[in-house]
Amino acid sequence: MNRKLIIRVLGAILAIEGLAMIPAFLISLYYRDGDSLALLYSFLFTFLTGSAMFMIPHTERDDYLRLKEGFIIVAVGWVLMSLFGALPFLFSGMLNRFESAFFEAVSGFTTTGATVVTEFSTSFHGVFFWRATTHWIGGMGVLVLTLALLPKLTGRSSHLVRAESPGPSLSKLVPKTGQTAKILYRIYILLTLLEFLALLLCGLSPYDAAVHAFATAGTGGFSNYGASIAAFDSVAVDIVITIFMFMFGVNFALYYKALIGEHVKAFFRDEEFRWYLCIAASFALLITFFNIPYYSDFFTSLRYSTFQLSSVISTTGFVTADFSRWPVASQMLLILAMFIGSCAGSTAGGMKVVRINMLVKLSRRNIMAAGRPKKVDVIRLDRRAVDENIVSQVAYFAVMYVALVFVGAFLLTLEGKFDIITNLTASLTCVSNVGPGLGAVGPVENFAGYGIWGKAVSSLLMLFGRLELIPMFILFTRSAWHKY
Amino acid sequence: MRIIVIGAGKVGYTLAEHLTQEEHDVTVIDKNDEVIERCSGSLDVICLKGNGANAKTLLEAGVDKANIVIASTESDESNMLACLIAKRLGAQYTIARIRDPEFNESQTLLQNELGIDVAINPERATALEISRLLRYPFAGSIESFARGLVEMVEFRALETDKIVGIPMKDLTEKVPGLPRILYAMVERNNSVIIPDGRFSIQPGDKVFVSGDMVAITEFFRFLGRTKQKIRSVMLLGGGRISYYLSRLIVPMGVHVTLFEIDQAKARALSELLPKVDVILGDGTDQDLLQEQGLSQVDAFVSLSNRDEENLMTALYASRSGVPKIIAKNSRMAYTDILNDLGLDSVISPQVITSSTILRYVRARENSNGTHIERLYRLIDGKAEAIEFIARRGDPYIGIPLKDISTRQGSLVSVIVRQGKIIIPFGKDHIEEGDHVIIVSRNLGISDLNEVLKK
Repeated sequence: MNRKLIIRVLGAILAIEGLAMIPAFLISLYYRDGDSLALLYSFLFTFLTGSAMFMIPHTERDDYLRLKEGFIIVAVGWVLMSLFGALPFLFSGMLNRFESAFFEAVSGFTTTGATVVTEFSTSFHGVFFWRATTHWIGGMGVLVLTLALLPKLTGRSSHLVRAESPGPSLSKLVPKTGQTAKILYRIYILLTLLEFLALLLCGLSPYDAAVHAFATAGTGGFSNYGASIAAFDSVAVDIVITIFMFMFGVNFALYYKALIGEHVKAFFRDEEFRWYLCIAASFALLITFFNIPYYSDFFTSLRYSTFQLSSVISTTGFVTADFSRWPVASQMLLILAMFIGSCAGSTAGGMKVVRINMLVKLSRRNIMAAGRPKKVDVIRLDRRAVDENIVSQVAYFAVMYVALVFVGAFLLTLEGKFDIITNLTASLTCVSNVGPGLGAVGPVENFAGYGIWGKAVSSLLMLFGRLELIPMFILFTRSAWHKY
Repeated sequence: MRIIVIGAGKVGYTLAEHLTQEEHDVTVIDKNDEVIERCSGSLDVICLKGNGANAKTLLEAGVDKANIVIASTESDESNMLACLIAKRLGAQYTIARIRDPEFNESQTLLQNELGIDVAINPERATALEISRLLRYPFAGSIESFARGLVEMVEFRALETDKIVGIPMKDLTEKVPGLPRILYAMVERNNSVIIPDGRFSIQPGDKVFVSGDMVAITEFFRFLGRTKQKIRSVMLLGGGRISYYLSRLIVPMGVHVTLFEIDQAKARALSELLPKVDVILGDGTDQDLLQEQGLSQVDAFVSLSNRDEENLMTALYASRSGVPKIIAKNSRMAYTDILNDLGLDSVISPQVITSSTILRYVRARENSNGTHIERLYRLIDGKAEAIEFIARRGDPYIGIPLKDISTRQGSLVSVIVRQGKIIIPFGKDHIEEGDHVIIVSRNLGISDLNEVLKK
């Protein structure tokens, strides 16, 4: 194993994370809160550690990155990044226990948005901004960012992007990985900026607009208000965020195609997008329908139901209504949406629509094969045959995903605190990177009720979910740590 | 540049690898799943599964915006078709690998009617390379620069060579009468050294010298390496390379003995090559070789379809005292080991093909804005020789080389000024319009300013 190369790349990640703390630091200076020093120390500590790791002597021979090392860098990198990302929460005193700060950082970077913060005092502008920044960085992926900034960091850099990007297979936009990373971030910045402007127009303060634009862009869900988006109680804000949450769940390659000349056609040509749109629209309508008795009027129901569905299926986790009081059918649909998630190649979590699509086709093929075993059947996506290897990987992924949710739920129950609904939805919401669950982790509650064990387990579940299982599982194999 | 490589076999893969190292945007098209898997795993390219002669696949690869399309699949017809379609769809420049001599003979037709700008015949390119090696038997390999004005020749230093063990800066003093020549590179223990004043050549080193052919020939005469010209050659295997090679060297007055095991093939060759002694029989048979006079010939070239046979027979010929041995080895592997065994000239048609294509790509790039005239990969790609043209206004112009700092691992090897070559020493300088050849261990240099700093 090429230790030096791994340390160098990890160093680059930390140095970039350190630099990302600077905007939060500047904001804390502007608001003259007490958290400036905390952010300054965190910045210095993270940046200097990262730089020192990056500077270790190396030779040209070390630049060969193997597939296994790519996975290890991604998994270790995310854990390390969360450890350092927890510093501002600890130093500022916003969270005074290490496991809580770590949970918050993991939840930020994995764009889950589950929180253990119970006091939303206004004296932490800088740290709250950092909390939103973690969403923004974690959404598109820190290694993608690293490669956009340092495309020459390693050879075979597509191994890193492959391990970090969500979806069954990596689709490059242009031949060079570094260039692809740059294009993705440009689109990301553009969309974030659009939402920021839209929220300003809705009357939000620039600070609130930025925090919520970041949280939406990463499909995270951290808000600097305890009541989340419900705090604004504005139809305009609800509509803007509903639309943008949906948009950040779309594969970014489609925006690229639309921008280089295919326009709207790019979206409707894509099978995954069509499925995503159909699933989201039909779920939203069904929930609206189920909720009419609860809200007593169609349009109010439409407003809250659509927002909540968009928030859950894009795995953002913003809240405008306490859906744990909704009719059970609506809740069940939200839980299904949590499993499904959004498109591959977006910032969202979940199993991804493209996998659901293939699973449906695979099931249909298996059922057909029972009656006509000799028939050769190919699974197609976008009218093109899918490699059988990928098909079986998708099937295994689905099994592991569901198993992980249940194992996670079991581990959470070991703390002996909440009921099955709470633990099961907590596990699901963590693995799918959504944020709120039901019961004691419901939309108006949070994860503060869990102890050390519960927070540790859910932190791990979030990392497993964000990195789509494999990189984290590899960390737990013995061969990952062998030299060869 | 945007380049599409169709067919990622040995040639295509090597090409894609080198082109990405040189910062081109490469898209690879291949029909085979495994090939695609391998490419997308190890190269920074976009891989597309499909037929390169399919317009839809080509469009998906962005053929309309491609600067160069290279068709290097196994099939001539597919390559031609791919180039034809690519050209119609808007590709600027197309290169096809075309094997069949019948197609090659209608080169102008290919260009005008099918839109193939360059047709590369791997066997012919290989035969050309071998014929050059036979012309200068003391060389392990030869590269020409500046339209053939400058050559870089590789040879292995021996214990008895007068230049061995003396630091470079003392050479002219201590070895009187030594022709002025540039020691461009030395390969020792599989690593490349760019020699400086303190460096001294050791026995067993592979030395690369450059200069014009007259100076180089004089140099080897001084070392006592020039035997008389090669007058007789034995060829093992009657494939296409042997055919082309015979056509090239028989007119030069070289006597050729060719071994072919297949009767029909042997007969056909005998018909086509009246001056060649075609021997029907197994060329790996030691008795047969000796009976046909193996120990009397000046050179032995093994060109059969099996690498193992080529290498073993070549070793046997070398043991029998044949002074010049050339062996074909299709697999790139083990070159270093083969050199240790004494086979200095091991050639691979795939490598020759891909470097020929690379040269054309380079030449195109020149017209697309960068300043590289030509690039040569040396020693399995461990080093490069790059030909630049010095442009007006560059900071190094007019300054003696000893006052310019040269990047570590690089060396100004030759300057060509108005058709005359200059082997540069400290007091020489570069003028506007000079062709400057840089030898470097740093791969991927794209500008002379990266190497020379005031």
